[in-house]
Amino acid sequence: MSPFLRTIFVIARRDFLSIVATPTFLLFLLAPLFMIGVGAIGGAGASQLADSARGAGRIVALVDTGDIEALRAADSRLRDALPRREKPVTLEIRVATPAADPLAIAREKGSDTYAVLSGPLAAPRIVEQEKGSSSGRYLALLAGEVLRDRAAGPLPPVAPRFESIANQGASIAVQQSMGFGAVFAIFLLTLLLAGQAVGMLAEEKGNKVIEILAAAVPLESVFLGKLLGLLGVAILFIAFWTAMAIGGGLVAATQIDPGAIAATGAAGKSAAALVSAPATGWPFFIGIGFAYFVMAFLLLGAVFLGVGAQAGTVREIQMLSLPITIFQVAMFSLSAAASSAPGSRLATIAQIFPFSSPLAMAARAATDGNHAIHLLALGWQAIWVALVVYLSVRLFRAGVLSGGGSWKFWRRAKVVTSAATPAGVVSSQSH
Amino acid sequence: MTALTVEAQGLTKYFGNFKAVDNVSLEVPTGSIYGVLGPNGAGKTTSLRMTLGIIDPDAGSSRLFGGQRPQSVRHRIGYLPEERGLYPGMKAREAIAFMGALRGLDWSEGRRRAETFMTELGLERVIDEKIRKMSKGMAQMIQLIGSIVHAPDLIVLDEPFSGLDPVNQERLEMLVRRERDRGATILFSTHVMAHAERLCDRLAIIARSQRRFEGTVDEARAMLPMQVRYTPRGAPDPAVIAAMLPPGAEPRGDAWQFPIADAGVEPLLARITASGHGVAGLSIVRPGLHDAFVHIVRQVDAGFEADARVDALEEAAL
Ligand SMILES: Nc1ncnc2c1ncn2[C@@H]1O[C@H](COP(=O)(O)OP(=O)(O)OP(=O)(O)O)[C@@H](O)[C@H]1O
Ligand SMILES: [Mg+2]
Repeated sequence: MSPFLRTIFVIARRDFLSIVATPTFLLFLLAPLFMIGVGAIGGAGASQLADSARGAGRIVALVDTGDIEALRAADSRLRDALPRREKPVTLEIRVATPAADPLAIAREKGSDTYAVLSGPLAAPRIVEQEKGSSSGRYLALLAGEVLRDRAAGPLPPVAPRFESIANQGASIAVQQSMGFGAVFAIFLLTLLLAGQAVGMLAEEKGNKVIEILAAAVPLESVFLGKLLGLLGVAILFIAFWTAMAIGGGLVAATQIDPGAIAATGAAGKSAAALVSAPATGWPFFIGIGFAYFVMAFLLLGAVFLGVGAQAGTVREIQMLSLPITIFQVAMFSLSAAASSAPGSRLATIAQIFPFSSPLAMAARAATDGNHAIHLLALGWQAIWVALVVYLSVRLFRAGVLSGGGSWKFWRRAKVVTSAATPAGVVSSQSH
Repeated sequence: MTALTVEAQGLTKYFGNFKAVDNVSLEVPTGSIYGVLGPNGAGKTTSLRMTLGIIDPDAGSSRLFGGQRPQSVRHRIGYLPEERGLYPGMKAREAIAFMGALRGLDWSEGRRRAETFMTELGLERVIDEKIRKMSKGMAQMIQLIGSIVHAPDLIVLDEPFSGLDPVNQERLEMLVRRERDRGATILFSTHVMAHAERLCDRLAIIARSQRRFEGTVDEARAMLPMQVRYTPRGAPDPAVIAAMLPPGAEPRGDAWQFPIADAGVEPLLARITASGHGVAGLSIVRPGLHDAFVHIVRQVDAGFEADARVDALEEAAL
């Protein structure tokens, strides 16, 4: 191992251990648990709310006894063809009696009644909550269905043959949403820790270790080592939660009986998403996604570390956290927009601009089967990591270590002009 | 002509408009102990930092081990900065091994040596103690060990003695000598003349940003004339004694005190013997490094004040 790499690892090891070997790290590691908990409670509450709201809604048909069966059959047939979210509310079928008043039924307490059908099926009276509502149209459609069946007599049942094309090519929409998912996941993971890079050198400046480091190793390896240490923490975090997820999945799999799995498989909707793969294939997509995560982390971390190294006080560092978050969100928005429009000019810009490139390229891996382009992108991003670290080090050396004003670049210009003055003083000493 | 481990030529550094270091050169012979002395704010720390390449000089250059850039020979250097700093959460043994590892020493070897050094220096009680639980002096000793644990060829110590108790100062002197005997070259700065006088083979005095003296301790002391303290027997007439002694002799109680040039010693002795006033006490000693240092620094300051006065006069004349 080259001495340069060695020193990077020495620094990274120290940073990694000093972060991981604290009780606060445990809190950090388990934080998503709280988030999941809060999310689960909130989600359960919301879905319950939605369910109860849905359960309370209904449409009512007042028909003759003879029509009830036909109406029910027509309802279940039509319902099947509609997507789950767009199914009409429950249909309540009642026997029409002279006493039954559609208006009174529509106003009955206990449930929302969207529409009530009464009268002969050929000329039904439909009382609806809102003018032109889809509930009203649906009742009219049902009535029409029943009449048409009756007029045509018993038809031979349609025997459709369903063929799935899911295996032949994945849907573009699904791939795009995978791309967006990758962008979002990488963004979340970098948000976790990259922002912390801004305060990393404050520790060394505070306890004066910086001079030992600056004397013993190149500053580049201090910067890279610190980034690597932080990346190690992030990877530990990811590994922990991946392991938890896989473990949880296995436990869940042993709990569920095969019949239930078959049943959900038959339901089919989620299975379709699983069958369709990103354009580059799952293993490559996951691998390259991880590589882009590392790059995004290093790139943003290097910027933040460099900016934070210039800050003089803890207060300045705290003030920096807002612009830093905004910068991250901006990169996310750019890449998210790019992921929804693959091949567009915006996407190309997002893929080339170094700080959004890892996110945007991860999205591209979902929709574009080209493997080689990713090698190019990784190289391009690595160049930028090196460039940012190099510039940060130069600024740090010139500014902080040499005692210049931390933010004041104009100070350096003044030094040059002032060089003439002391020379004059020296010459005047001789006489 | 011995080889030079440190060759720093014409180092100059500005902080804003202020010239903190002005054309300072340091030449440290291999295997010697070299002291950099100077009053507060003279520019010692800045000079050492430029010598090690931690900050870049505005002019001049520093070469180590025969023409190498300081950045390329880091593993052969040990450095104790003026501002002591350690990670407070680290254990002493780890801290020392960490500093060794930074300079390329194996971790396990570093831990082993840390134990040896700490035991030797009476710190075995705190080997596995965290730095934050240590006193300032103890932490400083730990850092000192950390800066020499990798057996460097050049050891640079910025005011290593400050903050240490006399026993630890003694141990540190022992350590410095032992490192020198091992073959290392030692460059250190201090304001404590006693240490410099005991340790240094050569020294440089920096005052007001410039190097004002370079040479051995004896050469520095030779800049001042020897001091004579003479007490005649009985109670002779002061005027008679004053006439016999060189001008500038002052009575201090019974004794007389005056400086004397090296060549004036024998004639003086002859005169005293001939005068018949006898000798109740007589000492002729070279002033210590302390006096030489104060002398040099005063001269520099006087020069600056004179300049200031000249400047003021010139300005008034305009
Ligand atoms: N980072 C800095 N920014 C601005 N001025 C500085 C800086 N470091 C040192 N100086 C100035 O440079 C001069 C020399 O400082 P230096 O630390 O080298 O002195 P020194 O000889 O080590 O003093 P001491 O004995 O007190 O340690 C001082 O006048 C100081 O004000
Ligand atoms: Mg100093």
